This record gives sequence, structure tokens and C-alpha cells, in this order.
Amino acid sequence: MKVTLLGFMKKEFAQLLRDKRMRIILFIMPVIQLMLFGFALSNEVKNIRLAAVFPLSDRISHEVLSKAFGSGWFKPARTTSTRDPSEWIRADQADVVLVAPPEGITQALQRGNARIQLLIDAKNVVRAQQIEGYLTAILQTTALDFIPVAAAPQGGVVFETRVLYNPELITSYFMVPGVMSMILCVITVIMTSMAIAREREVGTFEMLIAAPISIREILLGKTVPYIALGMLDAPVIILFATAVFGVPLRGSLLLLLLLTFVFVCTTVAVGTLISTISKTQQQAMLGGFIFLLPAVLFSGLMFPIENMPIYMRVFGYCNPLYYYNSAVRNIMLKGGDPSAVLVNVLILAAFAAGLIWISAKRFRLTLG
Amino acid sequence: MVSEPNAVIAVDIRKLTVKFGEFTAVDQVSLSVRKGEIFGFLGANGAGKTTTIRVLCGLLVPTSGHVRVAGYAPEDGLEKIKTRVGYMSQRFTLYDDLTVAENLKFSGSLRGIVGRKLEQRIEELLEFVGFSRATGAFVKDLPGGIKQQVSLAASILHDPEIVFLDEPTSGVTPGARERFWKLIRELAGKGKTVFVTTHYMDEAEHCERIALMKDGKIIALDSPGGLKASTFRTPLLEILPSRKMAEGSWLPQLRAHPAVESIEPYGMRYHLVISDPARLGEVKAQIPPSFEISQTAPSLEDVFIRLVEAGFIK
Repeated sequence: MKVTLLGFMKKEFAQLLRDKRMRIILFIMPVIQLMLFGFALSNEVKNIRLAAVFPLSDRISHEVLSKAFGSGWFKPARTTSTRDPSEWIRADQADVVLVAPPEGITQALQRGNARIQLLIDAKNVVRAQQIEGYLTAILQTTALDFIPVAAAPQGGVVFETRVLYNPELITSYFMVPGVMSMILCVITVIMTSMAIAREREVGTFEMLIAAPISIREILLGKTVPYIALGMLDAPVIILFATAVFGVPLRGSLLLLLLLTFVFVCTTVAVGTLISTISKTQQQAMLGGFIFLLPAVLFSGLMFPIENMPIYMRVFGYCNPLYYYNSAVRNIMLKGGDPSAVLVNVLILAAFAAGLIWISAKRFRLTLG
Repeated sequence: MVSEPNAVIAVDIRKLTVKFGEFTAVDQVSLSVRKGEIFGFLGANGAGKTTTIRVLCGLLVPTSGHVRVAGYAPEDGLEKIKTRVGYMSQRFTLYDDLTVAENLKFSGSLRGIVGRKLEQRIEELLEFVGFSRATGAFVKDLPGGIKQQVSLAASILHDPEIVFLDEPTSGVTPGARERFWKLIRELAGKGKTVFVTTHYMDEAEHCERIALMKDGKIIALDSPGGLKASTFRTPLLEILPSRKMAEGSWLPQLRAHPAVESIEPYGMRYHLVISDPARLGEVKAQIPPSFEISQTAPSLEDVFIRLVEAGFIK
């Protein structure tokens, strides 16, 4: 068995690493994807065009504007002379317009009932919600500075919020560890499933099974090289995440690598299962993407599973990527309490074992 | 070792049937092949040759019937058969993106042959098949004939008793075909049983016995000489029409003659079978005098055309 496995390792590595396209997919593509997701896919809303209507004497309005522009999120909107604030939004000259009460926010607050209007362009709901959040926060703090009692919410409860582990709320800290799962998944699932399908398509599979080898040998031979490749890719991705995006690695690197190893075993098992139902490379590729798309959507990479309705959350809990993502973020950002991470490691190991078991059941050493 | 009453029988098939859904690929086939024999399997594409071979190599599970290869039935464990047979499929048996040496080493690792023993064996086999290039050459850069040689080397790396070759010479040059058949004869000379399928009638002449398959059934099984003798009991005339009369009314007239059993095109010529040898002169008189006529020995191609295409039943 050792001889056969070694033979497979040599053969698969020679075939993969010799192919220039494969080398690019293995080592360049992860870096490009990391760049794309880390830099471009940002939840942070910037360059918000802010306009405001308020009496010139209103000190709070002046202060809110200068804080807003000073925050880096907002910039002044270039509005035309029309006096109708909603026209500015309609003409796409401003993203948000702050309309103060006629007597000004300062006076209105002193009177005890300040109604401030925010006109927000909500063609992008996520952006609109964030703009609202930013502006109300600025309004709140500014008002508190000027008139402490009046601005406090009724009941007098004042929240003091402290954001832990990612105090600057840098999106890439959150995105990059998530993207790692996606990249590893794309590489291992697609490559594994296509490698087996290729043998079937070209006809070399017939030669493989003409030799007296067992299902265990052939499965090991076709999976171990891809697990090794995934583990070759993992340090590249981790290094890039920490060096280029400055994502902190607060937990143990060893634990992260162990977690990644178990995850790669799971995704290679997914690829193997896909290959047992594909006759051609094209089918394998299609099968891979049919798995990948929902797997990434339900991984908590971009949309938290916890926000989904219960019947949708099930997909998240059945998804290896979800457990990997949350554990990677835990290790990198929170320092990864080992017992919390090990639960995810065990769940992933159970996934891998189950998938390999099904693949072995489905795998046939005969044709037709 | 269990005593084997059929120690001289390498392959024994009894009423083998293979069905794919509703389609019957192999239909009640029975045959046996002696040890050391070169056994040819002839038939058109889809006749069931490859399916039969796949069953014999343990790659397909038969629907019904009994198979015994190298003394073992599939029920005894497929690996028993697989260690004793070599198989060269008609599709790619080599990895195009690996070198000759890498391919052979991988084949070796699949069969547990390693190290010095493997290197010796590879050297020996490459010499046997007459491979004279660098073993570092990529398979994709080799011409078809050389690829087949390397393929053969890969399939007999473990020194099998029986070698199954499925259309080993399709798509290679006539020179390469001839060299390949020399190798097959040498293998048989070393006591190996060779089970070979082919499209080429001239190649089939090299076989000791031939089974002719059509639609999953064996329609004839004999030595090449025996097949010719049993298929053509009456004289066979070869006719070369004169150029200006190549097309003409003589053909339908001749075909209608009561003593003419069949007339089939054969290249530029025609092969005419007489039903009654006594009326040979009578038929000859019908043929335009400008035609060249000769009585000829039937080739396997004649046999094939007669049995498979013309649907001749003895």
C-alpha cells in the first residue's frame, strides 16, 4: 500500500506541478483572490456625499458637519442651487441630506423635542443603513457634548460600546480569514474531482483498476496528493493575509494549521464524492461549482448565518466552510481558545469521515 | 496449489452474457483458449469484443455465465485474476503528460514492483519492445507506434500469464503493426497466452485461432485455414474488369446466374463464389473475355465479408 501511495504521490505531483496553468491556479490564483476580496470587497462605506440644511447660527449642526467630514467617511456634496433637499438625492448629487429643524438643532434640543430629518439614498440598502448608523452616532455624541441631559435617551440609559478584537472595524480583518476557506475549497474540491474524472474521461482509469489495487488504495492515492497540495497552499495564504493585510494572528499557528489540515481533508472528500458521480471533467467542474456557490454563501463569509431564518440556517450548520470560517476568525482575531476551536475541528473531522465513507461506498472498481 | 484439471486452458468462458440495461453487448458466448495460444477476436465496432475482454480482466461484472481466467473465477477474488493478466486497452493506457520512465514506474507501483527490481524489469522490457529513445521523453511527443510499444511494456511489467490486447495496432503505421505482431509472437513463444482483438484481416492471419463476433455472438471460431475452408467449399474466382467495362450490365447478369452464389467487390476487383463446382466453365463463359479471371484462395477478408456482412449461414 505504501508503494502504491508513493507512486500516486509522484505521479500526481508531476502531472500538476509540471503544468504551467496548474501552477498558476495553485499559487497565483489564491493571491489574486485574496487581493480582490481583501481590498475590493469592503463593507466599509466611504466617500458618502453629505449635504445639510440648517440655520447658520446652529452650532450643533456646524459641529456635526465638521465631525462627519473629519471622520473620513463623509465628503461634502456638490449641490446645485435648488432649495429642495430631496431633489439633491433624486439628481444623485448627495447620498444623504441632513435637514435640521427651522430653529436649528441646538435650540430644538434645548426646547426638549428635536426632530431631525435624514434623507438617505437607499438604492443600496446596506450602504443606507450604514450611513444612518454613522450619522446618528455623530449626532448623538455631538448633542451629548452640548446638552448632556437633553440628548440622553429617555430613561437615562447611556450605552458605552466597546468593540473588541477588531476595534477599528477593519473589514479585511474579517474578510481575509473567510476568503481563505473559499480559496482552499475552490482549489481542493475542483482539483480533486477533476483529477479522478480525468482518469475516467481519458481512459487511464481502466488501467488503474486493471491492477490489483483496492478501493482504499485508489482513494488514498487520489486524495492524499491533493490534501498535500492544499497544505502547501495554506501557508502561502496565511503569510499573505498577515503580511499584506496585516490581519493579526493572535492564536496558535499550529492550531490554525491543524484546523486547516482537517478542513482540507473535508474539502478533498467533497471533491472525491463529486467525482464518484461525474463521468467527465466537465461534469466534475460543474458539480464542484454547484457545491461551491451555496457553500460560500452559507459559510458566514459575507452574510452571518445567525441572521438567516432557522430553515436556512440549517444549510450553514451542514456546511464545513461555516465551521472553518468561524474557527479561523476565532484563532486569528480572538486568539483562539483551544477548546472552542477543537469543537470545530472535531465537527470537520466528522464531515471528512462521513464523506469519505460515502465515497468509498459509491466507488466502483469496475466499469459500466 | 489446487490441482487443475484444465492446466492447459488459460481462458474458459461458458455462456457469458453481459447486458447494459436493455442492450445485450455479449450474448451467450462460450470459448476456451489454450495456454500459449495467440487467440484472435474479430468483429466490427460494437460487436462485443471489448466488453468480453473487460470481463476477462475483471473490469466488468458479467450478467450471467461462467468465466475462468488463469485458473480463477471472478468469485475467487478479482485480484487473483488481475495479478495474472496484463491488459492493454484500446484507449490511452499511458499518461500523456508523464515521461516514459514515469509511466512505467507508476505502473510498477500499482503492482507493488519497486526499486532495483522495477528498474531491471523496465530496462528488460524496453529492450524487448525495441524502445530506443530516451526514457525521459514525454509520451505525448511519441509517435503512435512507439506509444503502443511502451503501452505493451507497461501492461506486461508484472510478467502476466495471459495478455489481453484490445486493438493494439489501431491507428499506427503498417511498419509499426508488423513490429508489434513480431512482439506478440515472441510473447507467445515465451509461453504467454495472447488474446488480441483487431480490425485488420491480415493481422488475424497471425492468430492460431480466431473467433468472429457479430452483435454479441460468436458466429465462427476456427483456425484461419479452417475458417476459409469451411466458409468457402466451392471455388472462388477473382475478376478484374477491363477499365472501359468497369461499370456495365455484366454485373447484374452475373449475379442473376443460378450457379453464382455471390459476387462481392474486393478493391478494384470482384470475388465471385460458385455454388456448384461442376458449372465453373459455364459461369466463366458469362464473364466478358476482356476481364482477367483467376481462381484464388479465399482471404480472411473474404471470410469476414461472407460471414459478417453478407450474413452467410453454413
